[in-house]
Amino acid sequence: MALELKKPEKLRIGVFVCECGLNIAGTIDCSAVSEYSKTLEDVVCVVQNKYTCADPGQNEIKKAIVEHKLNRVVVASCTPKIHEPTFRQCVADAGLNPYLFEMVNLREHCSWVHQTEKEKATEKAKDLVRSGVARARFLEPQIEAEVPVTKAALVIGGGVAGIQAALDLADGGHKVFLVEKEPTIGGIMAALDKTYPTMDCSI
Amino acid sequence: MAPKQVRFKCLMCGHEYDGMYDHENVTERSCPKCRSNSIRRLPDAKVAKS
Amino acid sequence: MMDVGRHPKVELFTNSEVENVTGFVGNFNVTIRKKARYVDANECTACAECAKVCPVAVPDEYQQGFSSRKAIYMPFPQAVPSAYILNMDNCLGNNPIACGKCADVCEKHCINYDDQDELVNIEVGVVITATGMDVYDPTEYDEYGYTRFDNVITSMEFERLICAGGPTEGHFIRPSDRKIPQKIGFIQCVGSRSQDGRGNPYCSNICCMNTVKDTLLLCDHYPGVEAKVFYMDMRAFGKGFEDLYMRSKEEGVKYVRGIPGDVVEDPETRNLLLTVENTTTGKLEKHELEMLVLSQGVIPRQDGDSIRKLLTLSQTSDGFIMESHPKLKPVDAPTKGIFIAGCVESPKDVKDSVTQASAAAARASILLNAGKTKIEAITSQVDTELCNFCGICAKVCPYNAISASDRKAEKPPTIIAAACAGCGACAAECPQDAILMRHFRDEQIMAQVEALVKDDPEKHLLTFACNWCSYAGGDNAGTARLQYPTSSRLIRTMCSGRVDEKFVMHAFKMGAPMVLVSGCHFADCHYINAVHWTQKRMDRLWNKLDKLGIRVDRLQLEWISAAEGQKFAKVMRELEERVQTVTDEEIEHTKKVLAEEEAKAEAKKKKKAKAGAEVSA
Repeated sequence: MALELKKPEKLRIGVFVCECGLNIAGTIDCSAVSEYSKTLEDVVCVVQNKYTCADPGQNEIKKAIVEHKLNRVVVASCTPKIHEPTFRQCVADAGLNPYLFEMVNLREHCSWVHQTEKEKATEKAKDLVRSGVARARFLEPQIEAEVPVTKAALVIGGGVAGIQAALDLADGGHKVFLVEKEPTIGGIMAALDKTYPTMDCSI
Repeated sequence: MAPKQVRFKCLMCGHEYDGMYDHENVTERSCPKCRSNSIRRLPDAKVAKS
Repeated sequence: MMDVGRHPKVELFTNSEVENVTGFVGNFNVTIRKKARYVDANECTACAECAKVCPVAVPDEYQQGFSSRKAIYMPFPQAVPSAYILNMDNCLGNNPIACGKCADVCEKHCINYDDQDELVNIEVGVVITATGMDVYDPTEYDEYGYTRFDNVITSMEFERLICAGGPTEGHFIRPSDRKIPQKIGFIQCVGSRSQDGRGNPYCSNICCMNTVKDTLLLCDHYPGVEAKVFYMDMRAFGKGFEDLYMRSKEEGVKYVRGIPGDVVEDPETRNLLLTVENTTTGKLEKHELEMLVLSQGVIPRQDGDSIRKLLTLSQTSDGFIMESHPKLKPVDAPTKGIFIAGCVESPKDVKDSVTQASAAAARASILLNAGKTKIEAITSQVDTELCNFCGICAKVCPYNAISASDRKAEKPPTIIAAACAGCGACAAECPQDAILMRHFRDEQIMAQVEALVKDDPEKHLLTFACNWCSYAGGDNAGTARLQYPTSSRLIRTMCSGRVDEKFVMHAFKMGAPMVLVSGCHFADCHYINAVHWTQKRMDRLWNKLDKLGIRVDRLQLEWISAAEGQKFAKVMRELEERVQTVTDEEIEHTKKVLAEEEAKAEAKKKKKAKAGAEVSA
């Protein structure tokens, strides 16, 4: 299958390699990864940072988007589970559609799990960045749909946690449905005599 | 389609065993020997041959 | 407890279970089964006349079986709602009514033997799950004699015996002769921190402080009592905990470091003889006690699986619910709009449960207050040009978000974007490639495949991992610094159901020695049952490879949950070994075969197109 871009738009990709202190740089040769990134197709700007997620790192991204007229951003740092929302917001702040951002996981999936194989880990990091850039070339801007939130909450379980959560939400003015399997709420706590550390009654 | 007896083969350790297969309601498979999930459902023709 | 019962904003469903949950963040549709109570809770005044006449007596669960209750009963005096309930399993029978005494005496006529379960539908924006825990049953620790000796009790039973509202009205008496014991022992870590296959390997968190509390209660009620605690480590790490521990020691409670190996009963006195190695002194000690309390651990709720599956939550290897992130999102479930509070997440005490519950309520309030939320733009779209109206996508969709196409009318399917969760099973199953997954398009994933198998493909293991479980399992391995070979090259998809046959075949065509497809365990699938399609597709792929003379074990499948970092690393190690067994000749052969195969398919397509053109001409 030949991969061809549908759009005539000239791609301008920025790659941001994060050292994460020594979390990534301690295993992976980040400079080598940066140098390699420069050779990839459509990459017009590569920036290496100690902490890309910190304010200075994010400012570098915003600055580069404006200066280099970037239309794709690839950040090679940690797992998207933590910072994908951070960086999506960051590129959006700089006026780029957040879906034109791609994240490469050099930390959880590379540096932390290959601590004794520095060279091979660096090679893997290059491959992962290449894959991220390849994907970024095909990214398209997306618009997120907004859905309403029904102003009511379901709390499952009427033990101490369920009761507290239900009360907090209800006191905040929200409708709460509290479902308990047993004939009464109270859970395990209700069967206790006194509770530590205050030594007072549980009910 | 009713559940039927089929032959499964583990692609990790090679262990072969028989089990039930329900086309409508697929269940998770794991090798009783090595716990791998690479369990191939052998096609009927192949089972008949061997 | 009372507050929640009378709060105008709280609607309480007791004796009820969540039967079904559908929908998505902000728009959950929940079915609740209100089980028959046989007593009208609104009318009941808790006058207790019914229980007086009820002829059935059964062990009282609330009092840990130390006393009895009737078939019609109130769980405990402060119960909310303050109403009786009739347990039909205990009742002498309502069909035909054999007894009927309670209904006769009820002045308010609120007993109804024909009461039926009721299904209630509600709509909510957020769900907080706080289904709690169970306590460990120490029966399997037979050396402690819990089932053999009357005077060996559990810590839950202790609570009832010492409680003024308990069966003995707070007189702490031993079951064998109803005398107040003077020498009481506690054994810690019963069913916790165990490595011998019995009980659980984790620390139950609360038992050390619970025992400290129990000893203080004993000293308070019976000054001069002799209490001994047998422990492996005392963990008094919380605020004010060390103070309590010191107070307990000052009261004269003896703490012996060592877990007894054996408990025997003196048949005369019914006293208990413990043999224990005191690991501080290294000496073998014998202790005679009048009563022994087993400090039982905490276990996940044994009936919690149905709720877990309804909410598509994952569990850790010990059975507690997995949070979205152990440090940064401790009360969020991975599924948006669902939050976790209390012991369902891990064993914790009252204070921690309250803290976590308030945190969960605050997190839920964010969504409720905003009144709207954005949905990730990863839903599917139909390319009406390519669609041939086969209808497979509608069949595949776990959410019924795709309306059926109509072959006769040549009407393509439509996708309800709000119901689509973005798993991509439809796109992977579509034979025409007519479904586009926004942000996870074929081109995007194919580009990754090509990029990853470009250099030295023969050395690398191409891995597809689903966002929720396997990718997170990889993260888990990373966080735990579990080392594995560098050969893996991973591509993230939302669900393993997204992994199209052509991605796998393309990887092999490009020279990949091995491909691994990984996803959530069936019970954990974040897209209801999209993972079923993964398995069916794998069967198809294996058959295809077999036919083409390609070694089937070069394509592997593993289910790896978000908590299974260990398994992730293990699979990577095992498959690295297998990658080594794939020879260059094999790879060359595969490339050749697949290239030929592709050429054939192309030719066929052209011929078909030509034929089609002729027909229309």
